Amino acid sequence: MPKNILGREIPEFIEGYGKTLPFMGEHARKPEGNRAGPKLRSTFNDRTSKVVPDLKAAIAASGLKSGMTVSFHHHLRNGDFVVNAVIDACSEMGIRDLTLFPTALFGVHKKLIEHIKSGVIRRIMGSVNGPIGQMVSEGGMEVPVVLRSHGGRPRAVVSGDVRIDVAFVAAPTADAYGNLCGSQGKSACGSLGYAFTDAMFADCVVAVTDNLVPFPAAPVSMPQFHVDIVTVLDSIGDPAGIVSGTTRITRDPLRLLISKYASRLIEASPYFKEGISFQTGAGGISLAVTAFMKEAMKKREIRGSFGLGGITGYFVDLLKEGYVEKLMDVQSFDLEAVKSIAENPNHIEISADWYANPWNAGAVVNMLDVVILGATEMDRDFNVNVNTEADGALLHGIGGHQDTAAGAKLTIISQPLLRGRIPCVVDQVYSVTTPGEVVDALVTEYGVTINPRRKDLVDACQAAGNVPLVTMDELVARAHEMCGPTDPVETEDRIIGIIEWRDGTVIDVVKQLKKK
Amino acid sequence: MRLRRTMLYLPGNNPNMLLRGHLFNPDGLVLDLEDAVAVREKDAARILIRDVLKRGEFGSCEVTVRINGLDTEYWRKDLEALVPLGRLDGVRAPKVDDAATVKQLDEALSEIESKAGLEVGRTKIFCLLETARGIFNTYDIATASPRVTAVIPGGEDLTADLRTNRSPEGTELEGIRRNVIVAARAAGVDALDTVFPRITDDEGLRKETSFIKQLGFDGKSVIHPNQIPIIHEVFTPTEKEIERAQKIIAAAKEAAERGLGAVQVDGRMVDAPVVKRALFTLTRAGLLEEGQDNA
Amino acid sequence: MKTAQAGTVESMDCLVTVSEAEPGTGIALTLAGSSVARFSRAMEKAVRATLGELKINDMTVLVQDNGALDIVLKARVEAAVSRLNGGEEA
Repeated sequence: MPKNILGREIPEFIEGYGKTLPFMGEHARKPEGNRAGPKLRSTFNDRTSKVVPDLKAAIAASGLKSGMTVSFHHHLRNGDFVVNAVIDACSEMGIRDLTLFPTALFGVHKKLIEHIKSGVIRRIMGSVNGPIGQMVSEGGMEVPVVLRSHGGRPRAVVSGDVRIDVAFVAAPTADAYGNLCGSQGKSACGSLGYAFTDAMFADCVVAVTDNLVPFPAAPVSMPQFHVDIVTVLDSIGDPAGIVSGTTRITRDPLRLLISKYASRLIEASPYFKEGISFQTGAGGISLAVTAFMKEAMKKREIRGSFGLGGITGYFVDLLKEGYVEKLMDVQSFDLEAVKSIAENPNHIEISADWYANPWNAGAVVNMLDVVILGATEMDRDFNVNVNTEADGALLHGIGGHQDTAAGAKLTIISQPLLRGRIPCVVDQVYSVTTPGEVVDALVTEYGVTINPRRKDLVDACQAAGNVPLVTMDELVARAHEMCGPTDPVETEDRIIGIIEWRDGTVIDVVKQLKKK
Repeated sequence: MRLRRTMLYLPGNNPNMLLRGHLFNPDGLVLDLEDAVAVREKDAARILIRDVLKRGEFGSCEVTVRINGLDTEYWRKDLEALVPLGRLDGVRAPKVDDAATVKQLDEALSEIESKAGLEVGRTKIFCLLETARGIFNTYDIATASPRVTAVIPGGEDLTADLRTNRSPEGTELEGIRRNVIVAARAAGVDALDTVFPRITDDEGLRKETSFIKQLGFDGKSVIHPNQIPIIHEVFTPTEKEIERAQKIIAAAKEAAERGLGAVQVDGRMVDAPVVKRALFTLTRAGLLEEGQDNA
Repeated sequence: MKTAQAGTVESMDCLVTVSEAEPGTGIALTLAGSSVARFSRAMEKAVRATLGELKINDMTVLVQDNGALDIVLKARVEAAVSRLNGGEEA
């Protein structure tokens, strides 16, 4: 069987996916031709309201038919009502064999399982989590799922790899002519970054809101000329699941220890200087790294240029206190972030294309100095797996992992060495999400492990004198000694998931788990 | 001299903490078989601690066990199970009231060490003074055996015995801390302070640590890993202090080489006690190798 | 049938339950919990080795695991067996 550059066996043709292109390196694949585009349409002054009475009317008006592709964004996260409502309505209308193309799915979407079983949904292109992921891993879908990063997804859309028939855009605020805004309304979610590319490239765009305001809505995230139809639900989501409360810095000593080592690595690196830019996300460790970095920035009198990615209240404070000049926000995690993006002109809403697409004239990730990321496992070659769990089940999406790792000058994976008995370093990862060529360091409670190709970083850490260095060999040996040998994951031959690198080549495939 | 700025208690029946405690880089560990372990779990904790000691991975920490009190049926079993492994630097004995208690422990340790073929006297004793009697007898306790290496005033138990309770200001412990430091210095052992119980009160901890450091204490017992960096920070000399200490050492060295009695640094006389304090500062800053500090 | 337990279901610990078994029935081992998917062989080896050291041939053993390393699993098996044998109370 053909292998990609990482030695992973990738069949030339995968049923339900088509011909594959093997991953051949970070920048190996070059784009050809022009951007794809949506169907042309015209609208004149005989149509001054796009509002239709209900969801079913909207679906009917959109021309959605069996076998088509529908897209959704995940800004309402675990509070989202829209995906389930739309698919319920499709089911009642007799529409079947849909391709679901969400930017991500959450636990709240486990209701889709019944629609997968009944054939309303035939395939999913996007992350599968929790119960849906478990079902897919055990062979519950006939067509394999396709996983793409936050940048790989808009790349697939603009290049024409994926055509969206109807994009359903949950909109916390909308007017009757389709101007949409994410930061206002009872279901406010802040940035609508993940919805932009879909709205620009879908043949039909349906806005679903629970806050219809008089024309023109302001401020506008997404302008009216992309939106074909507007419909109103009583509620598009549960605010408690949309945004989290104030995110607090962890008090967990192990996570704090790892955070401290990570921040020392950053401080020792050549990037810790005036104008530093960083993405740290909302996880326990990364937020604490940000707190330690803030202390260090204060001490060394350094100001950052921008913070990127999913934005939390903690980043908003950094902006307000002058530790960063700008925030570039593709997703707002909490109420403070939602409030800030509505009020502060230096808090900028960016699309996924702008954030991370490798096939445009330049994504923000390319301007990133430092990113802190997680992993379920990492191997001797620094390849990272974020998609499959220790038991081989496909339970997590890629998110911006590949894109920020590829873009940032310093990519740090921070993770406890042990989760229970399960080690995060292994001889070879079960599946690859992000190749070692774009990963620079791993930080665990045992210290900082630097990719040998970054000799400059090793030197910088040694010069700093306070970064505990541990080699990958030492770390793997320690994991072996503590955890013992692992049993292999037993699988069938059938492929249930395809992990694309951000350029559309296949970096790995995931196989169906054997029944126990 | 061995730094004992922080000695972290690890609950004896908690594998997570027993295996990970050293990662937080305290100066010492106290594997706790006493208050942190319920009576019906003493057996399981003893087995667990025994195996963790056998594994022996504690970074550069000084490793001690808090045994059960000499007024219980457990303490001898604790010693018999753990001391022969040869991995313990010391035992921390609770409720030491008088010199006789120390002597009893000393004899038991000698017997076990000798039976196990270990150097007799290698296991040090850390004495917890948790009663008014214990405090009153601090000097006698500290000099009752050459094994005694530190005395540690209690917190909750001691204040209860004094018929008071612990206040945020620590008024009730103030005189006790001063007495303990005098006795410890007179006996030539370390004085280690009691734990700071409010684990999320970072500022309170910083204040109390600064206070006991100023009194002369060598360190503090710790009940949560997050307290360690704060205490280390307080005990770590500032860059200014280090710079001054280095100047003093250099001046003293030069004076010795040139056969001069005393010299001045920044307008102040440098005599023996000043040099001693400067060496101590550099030790705390981690700038002196072991054995170099008694120059 | 006499039964004894040791350990907890806290993180990095396990709860081991041992019961007497008829002579000649051998070791009947049930493993449950977070590590089983990838470490059942290592866990089984650890349990059997510990029982072997304790010269036990017949016993029913249930391990409810929450990420215990071998060192912990072994200590818990030993403690449970010691309790089953009524050994030292504490």
